[in-house]
Amino acid sequence: MKEVASFLKPYRLAVVIALALMLTELTVELVQPLFMAKIVDDGILKRDLSAVVHWGLVMVGVSALAFAAGIINSFFAAHVSQSFGFDIRKVLFGKIQSFSFANYNQFSNSSFITRMTNDVSQVQNTIFMGLRIMLRAPLLVVGGAVMALAVNFTLSFILIVILPCLIFFLLWMMKRAGSMFRIVQEKLDTVNKVIQENLTNMRLIKAFLRNDYEVNRFQKANKDLKDQTISVLRFMEIMQPVLLFVMNVSILIILWAAHAGPSEVKVGEVVAIVNYSTRIISVLSMLSFIVSGFSRAKASSLRISEVLQTEVKLTDELAESSHQITEGKIEFRSVSFAYPDSAVKVLDDVSFTVNAGETMAVMGATGSGKSTLLNLIPRLYDLEKGAVYIDGFDIRTIKLEHLRRSIGMVPQESLLFTGTVKDNILWGKEDATMEEIIAAAKDAQIHDTILKLPHGYDTLISQKGVNLSGGQKQRISIARALVRKPKILLLDDSTSALDLKTERKLLQALMKYPCTTLIITQKILTAMAADQILLLENGKVLAKGRHDELIRSVPLYQKIYESQYGKDGIRHAQKSY
Amino acid sequence: MLKSLIEPFRYEKLKLTNESKVKKSSSKVKDWKGTLKRIWGYMSDQKVLFFFVLLMVFISTALTILGPFLVGKGIDIYIVEKSGNHFFFFFVVLVLIYALHSLSIWLQNIWMIKVAQNTVYKIRSDLFRQFHLLPISFFDQKKTGELMSRMTNDVENVSSTLNSSVIQISSSVLTLIGVVSVMLWMSPFLTIITLIVVPLLVVGMKWITRRTGQLFKEQQRSLGELNGYIEETITGQRIVKTFSQENRVMHEFLEKNERLRRSSFWAQTISGFIPKLMHVLNNLSFTLIAGFGGIFALKGWITIGTIVVFAEYARQFTRPLNDLANQFNTLLSAVAGAERVFDLLDEQAEEADFGEYVQSANIKGDIVFDRVSFSYGEESQTIKNISFHVSPGETAALVGATGAGKTTIINLLARFYEINEGRILIDGKDISKLRRSELRQAMGFVLQDPFLFHTTIRENIRYGRLDATDEEVEEAAKLANAHSFIKNLPDQYDTIINEGGTSISQGQKQLLSIARAILKNPSILLLDEATSSIDTVTELKIQEALERLMKGRTSFVIAHRLNTIKKADQIFVIQDGRIVEKGSHDELLEKEGFYFDLVTNQLKPQLKTKDMLSEIKDHI
Repeated sequence: MKEVASFLKPYRLAVVIALALMLTELTVELVQPLFMAKIVDDGILKRDLSAVVHWGLVMVGVSALAFAAGIINSFFAAHVSQSFGFDIRKVLFGKIQSFSFANYNQFSNSSFITRMTNDVSQVQNTIFMGLRIMLRAPLLVVGGAVMALAVNFTLSFILIVILPCLIFFLLWMMKRAGSMFRIVQEKLDTVNKVIQENLTNMRLIKAFLRNDYEVNRFQKANKDLKDQTISVLRFMEIMQPVLLFVMNVSILIILWAAHAGPSEVKVGEVVAIVNYSTRIISVLSMLSFIVSGFSRAKASSLRISEVLQTEVKLTDELAESSHQITEGKIEFRSVSFAYPDSAVKVLDDVSFTVNAGETMAVMGATGSGKSTLLNLIPRLYDLEKGAVYIDGFDIRTIKLEHLRRSIGMVPQESLLFTGTVKDNILWGKEDATMEEIIAAAKDAQIHDTILKLPHGYDTLISQKGVNLSGGQKQRISIARALVRKPKILLLDDSTSALDLKTERKLLQALMKYPCTTLIITQKILTAMAADQILLLENGKVLAKGRHDELIRSVPLYQKIYESQYGKDGIRHAQKSY
Repeated sequence: MLKSLIEPFRYEKLKLTNESKVKKSSSKVKDWKGTLKRIWGYMSDQKVLFFFVLLMVFISTALTILGPFLVGKGIDIYIVEKSGNHFFFFFVVLVLIYALHSLSIWLQNIWMIKVAQNTVYKIRSDLFRQFHLLPISFFDQKKTGELMSRMTNDVENVSSTLNSSVIQISSSVLTLIGVVSVMLWMSPFLTIITLIVVPLLVVGMKWITRRTGQLFKEQQRSLGELNGYIEETITGQRIVKTFSQENRVMHEFLEKNERLRRSSFWAQTISGFIPKLMHVLNNLSFTLIAGFGGIFALKGWITIGTIVVFAEYARQFTRPLNDLANQFNTLLSAVAGAERVFDLLDEQAEEADFGEYVQSANIKGDIVFDRVSFSYGEESQTIKNISFHVSPGETAALVGATGAGKTTIINLLARFYEINEGRILIDGKDISKLRRSELRQAMGFVLQDPFLFHTTIRENIRYGRLDATDEEVEEAAKLANAHSFIKNLPDQYDTIINEGGTSISQGQKQLLSIARAILKNPSILLLDEATSSIDTVTELKIQEALERLMKGRTSFVIAHRLNTIKKADQIFVIQDGRIVEKGSHDELLEKEGFYFDLVTNQLKPQLKTKDMLSEIKDHI
């Protein structure tokens, strides 16, 4: 809450100005009746037309002043609230960018999205409202009470008793409602999640005819949201009737006191006190509206702070700028790893060295830890045991940005972003020239295909990249990695959707890149071209060596070979070496 | 210091789009009406409750006026005259009136909340259903996060308006009517003078709403775009991180964030003028009463008392107008939100599923493509004049370079897209005349991207057939060779698949999606690179299960690996959207054409010389 409020700091002056302008408006509103009285007393009663005109003009003048103040207030209020929202979204987004993968699992994606848009909007709206009307209500309440007390302390004593009670009541409501609104926002997260899943998996849902099932699932989430919203709003609605009733009854009590009390009570005083009390009543409903807005904003602020306060463990703390990657030699020293929320070791005591410029193929059954091994090199996760060294430096001591900039990674799922083909390749290197882009595309065997697209390199790709086939997407994501001319190239089974001819050409093109390459593959053919092969089984290194070594002595490798070339093939292969 | 004084006035103006200038304000107003009417339509089945809400508003408004009136009387009788009769009775009556007053307010509020939330619930449901009615091609172009924003941020706007504004507005209108009638009764002449400001009000409001209507829409659009960007970058975090593009992403984000700030700034500022306008016009009318009233009183046409009472009423006039004005902002942004929601609801849905009903169980799977052509958009054709016939129970393999159109053929068969030319027949019936639901019911899919839901492994497999028992789920998993790895997970079948998908590997996801298709037990099987991320040893194991599965079912298989293709009854070699070769494995090898090239490429390690060709042919 406090943390979120601190975002208002840069706009302190603007806030003060907005509030001052609001007070100006309020003052004008309050003095208008005085001028009215002047017209009656000085003008009409004294039969002086010029006084009527004079005070009339004064009234027009102050109205104009109030109008000007109001208009300017609009500018300041909108500026403060919008800039506040802008800043919070900026900081939130920056924070999320700095998250490590372990952090991402603490929130769901849809929850991030709700927090960044819906929650920020809630707070922002409350601030905007606050700057325009917030002070009005409490000021009128306090002002009214003070005036009443000044008129006749004994008669209005009841107000001193009642008002603090009402304020405590409001604070209590705010606290309760705050936590209820929090649940509303959580339900909104769930609704968002179902929508997101449905939108991304629409093809699957249609294929399996699960529309009704999904609609039911959504209805449940939707109903939860509705019920929770109804229950919190219902709770809030108690406020206004209670406030009104209590205040109205207090007026009656004042009347009773005046009626039963000593006879020296002046009628005028009673009228005045009743008048002030009714004014207080008229702003109470506004007050309940404000309290409701505040409770909601409070719930949302807490959700925002939660993201802001998440501790990011994966940092540059140990980094030294002298630790530069120049060659690209990779070394794993007894690396063990388990994902943050599980106890299962995905990698267990893995050690190997890949010299600069060499290629290592990583093979192994599905789920044996190949992708995880690759993910550790750009330090997407930190290790618990062992260490990864590049050019002799523990990667924790290399600046994260420098480390990742030296690596070109092609993940298993080829994820592209909305934008042109060129934009997507530029992800690899922001300042790449068109020649570099084309060279990378050519090496990735995608240049010709791109030229055939309606607008060539300027063809727009949608988020799901439908206008491209799976293999084309893969190759664009390879071009994206190649364009940065990395020291280390990581290919995570990135040729699975390619036909063999294209794949072969691609691998040949890769040879001329002077980088250390780790390639996950299922294909013996690809593995054979590597300087060494690392064979994983259940997270452990089963064997490493060249193809001809493995084919002779490692049963699993033989089995893989056999699965691709048959029993005859393997005899043939063993013979030929 | 100076900077912060100037800053609020530095926002660049947003250009109102040309479109609206052409349309003129009259059509804008019509849009308004249309949108409000549609919202009203959503409330239709709650008209009774809504009527009671209005009734309560009426009662509470009446009591709001009655209460002070009685208090005034009470002062006259019990305090001025000090007559002690029946004070207790008076006290009790008023307490009852106030209790009733509070009760009616409470009732109108909670009923309205119910009406509002039910309405919003219905809008959300309709929107979600609409998502499922829209054709796949619609989603191809839209950003997920942008669509999500309509469901949450836009609908939320409608919700908050219905919650508070409706009551406020109707009670304001009622009070206004009451006050104006009393004023008319007292002095028609002064009333007309008071109301002189109304035309000014209309002009001012027109100026404001013409701008804000569009600005709010722009605000909601920017918000949607920002939402889309956030969704995309968070989903693609892995790429952002590994390519260390945080700065670039931040930069693009700030641009969109700035656009949102700018449009919201203008929307809020200009709509913020409304209450100010109300105030100034109010003060003006107050002044008019005082001034003209003064003059009239001097001439002796009216009494001073009338002026005082009138002035008091003019103040009464202010409060509802003020409330009305304050509610206007929310109303405007709600209309903007609703418009965006309705835009989506008006999108052309897939043709209704009214085709001929053929029970899926009776579909045998005789498939004919008859001169089929198709393109995804204005681009060149993806599928060009393709014809083939696959008999029931046969397996057809589609091979060819990436982008040749293999996946598209499967998409067309499942009617995810409608073809441009030619016919696709199943059991002799044109599929465009069959019911989509029954058609897809007969098919089992393993799609290229193995989508899984954020739930347990068990539920993910059960997606294939919802009424499957736990045993059947496990049986399917065993057949897909997924059982053993699932058993090794800490929570086994109850392991929840997380969004990052870190808990299981890509290949394992494919195994699960095969299990899902197995469980469905379809008569036509479509496998699109179903085993591409699975290691070849595991693949061999599943192969057996798949073969068993394919037996007696018409199957389409897209694969690069020879193992999978070899045993197909027919192989279609696709190139640039055409079938360039078809036949069985042996026939195609004989031809020494495209297929031969593909195969020999794969077997390169043994192909040291061309002489070994014959040897190869022997052992493939």
